[in-house]
Amino acid sequence: MMELPPTRAGHIGRALSATAILLFLAMPIVIILVTSFGADGIGTFPPKEYSTRWYEQMAAPGGNWATSIALSSLVAALTTVFSLILGVTAATALARGRLPLHAAVYGLVLAPMLIPQVVIALGLFLFFEPAGMLGSPLAIALGHTVLAAPIAILIMISTLRGIDERLEDAAASMGASRITIARRITFPLATPGLIAAAVFSFITSFDEFFIAQFLSTPDTRTLPVLVFNALQFDVDPTVTAVSAVLIALAILALALVALVRKLGGHRNTQGGVLPVEPLS
Amino acid sequence: MAGTAVAPGKVRVKTSAMRGHRSRIALVNAVPVTVFLLLLFVYPIIGVLSLSLKGDSGGFTLHWYTDALSGVNLSVLLSTLRISAETAVLSLLVGFVLAHAIARMRPVFAALAMLIVVVPHFISALVRTYGWIIMLGEHGLINSLLTSLHAPGAPYSLLYNETGVVIGTTSVMLPYTVLVLQGVMRGVDGRLLAAAAGFGASRMTVFRRIYLPLVAPGIGTAGLLSFILCLGYYITPALMGGDKQTVVAALIDQQVMKQDQWNSAAAFGVILLLLTFAGLGVLGLAKLRRKKTHERRSSS
Repeated sequence: MMELPPTRAGHIGRALSATAILLFLAMPIVIILVTSFGADGIGTFPPKEYSTRWYEQMAAPGGNWATSIALSSLVAALTTVFSLILGVTAATALARGRLPLHAAVYGLVLAPMLIPQVVIALGLFLFFEPAGMLGSPLAIALGHTVLAAPIAILIMISTLRGIDERLEDAAASMGASRITIARRITFPLATPGLIAAAVFSFITSFDEFFIAQFLSTPDTRTLPVLVFNALQFDVDPTVTAVSAVLIALAILALALVALVRKLGGHRNTQGGVLPVEPLS
Repeated sequence: MAGTAVAPGKVRVKTSAMRGHRSRIALVNAVPVTVFLLLLFVYPIIGVLSLSLKGDSGGFTLHWYTDALSGVNLSVLLSTLRISAETAVLSLLVGFVLAHAIARMRPVFAALAMLIVVVPHFISALVRTYGWIIMLGEHGLINSLLTSLHAPGAPYSLLYNETGVVIGTTSVMLPYTVLVLQGVMRGVDGRLLAAAAGFGASRMTVFRRIYLPLVAPGIGTAGLLSFILCLGYYITPALMGGDKQTVVAALIDQQVMKQDQWNSAAAFGVILLLLTFAGLGVLGLAKLRRKKTHERRSSS
């Protein structure tokens, strides 16, 4: 934005308020990271002594935390597979083809991002309960796919739109078969988008609470469900370490996506490589 | 056709054949997602709707709705609306200040600021809420800071009440408002502001008469979006709201998990759904109206 020449007071005021707001956004995360290394348990900041005991407790084999980390990983992996399948096919239909009822399908795809998740969760419970599938990792993954697939689809649509169709036409005019074109032209060009879609699907599932809460049984609780229960009922300080791991995982995932996009030569001038997804 | 030199006419035949092929491909590719979402998204929601209209003996009833709209239930609904409105207004104000500052930062700082806005958004809301719980407690960071500064009345009770909930939800909604406002502010043509100033308008007048109307659509979208998203939001109110039921989503969870009151939960779900649709409708109408005004202006 071009602007009027700034006044000094206005400049300082803006800088101060911006810093304060950015602190407001970053502080809760910094606090968790520091507290997780504190030896004295929950809620003391800054800690008087530092240790890694909560991390050790979290990783203890056979414990609640380790079990639910394994379950969450399995569910997130399944979700990733499902949303990639839906993402690639739906994006092909929406970004490339002349699809009858284009607007209706597009609206259907976007709807899960805006509908209150408690309603989706309630509906999925009604769907899976009669089938006796409560607590099944497959059911939770299918539920998570309702939320993750729209994100994967949006990423794949923008990826496919970014690929010059003339490259595919050129290959076709040289006699390449459709399979060859998909394998040798489209797929390599779409790889950064595929990786981003996979990462965001995984993270969406790994962080999701509401659907998992409704579809889980006491024996099968995903990590966020366990974290939520720990925060609501017990005061298990291990939860700081678990939270820190979730933070690290998210930052790692974002870094991976940024790296892949950069290597793939994608220049997104809007800084919008990251889709904004709805809430859990 | 493969490998041979093609005459121009043949190329056209080929592309049109390809076009037909493409619409067939599109149709086939649209099937998985459509089937999936109809089965696991639309059908379950219809299930919620029908459950909310079903009486104990199986017949049709509006009982669950009248129940949801009276007494304690109504007050939960109203406090949900209030918390959502407070959150929307607050995150709009804070988001406006931040987005405005970012729009005027040097690119390096602007990029860094956007990173601090966007990265927390991808970190589990559960974790961020936990961070706030640690910070806002009676002996938390904020209160120890205020106490050491001898703030009157400190320590304040910032947790397990509405203040805490709104602080928490605002921090969750803020990335949305900043992103929306950022987009609109970037689109404002600075020459308009400079021209107005050149004609002698004061800074305040330029802001009020030129800048604000230009970013108004973004303000509407950002505010409504955070309001809608807040309506069904659960994690922060449930963890920071204390014993008192504060929001509808928490009530639904409780009715299902503890009281087995499925019909009532479903009625609340449908009410949330209707409120969301209303919000989205307003958003859509405003967009349509802007488009029409725009067309009228550009055609005349």
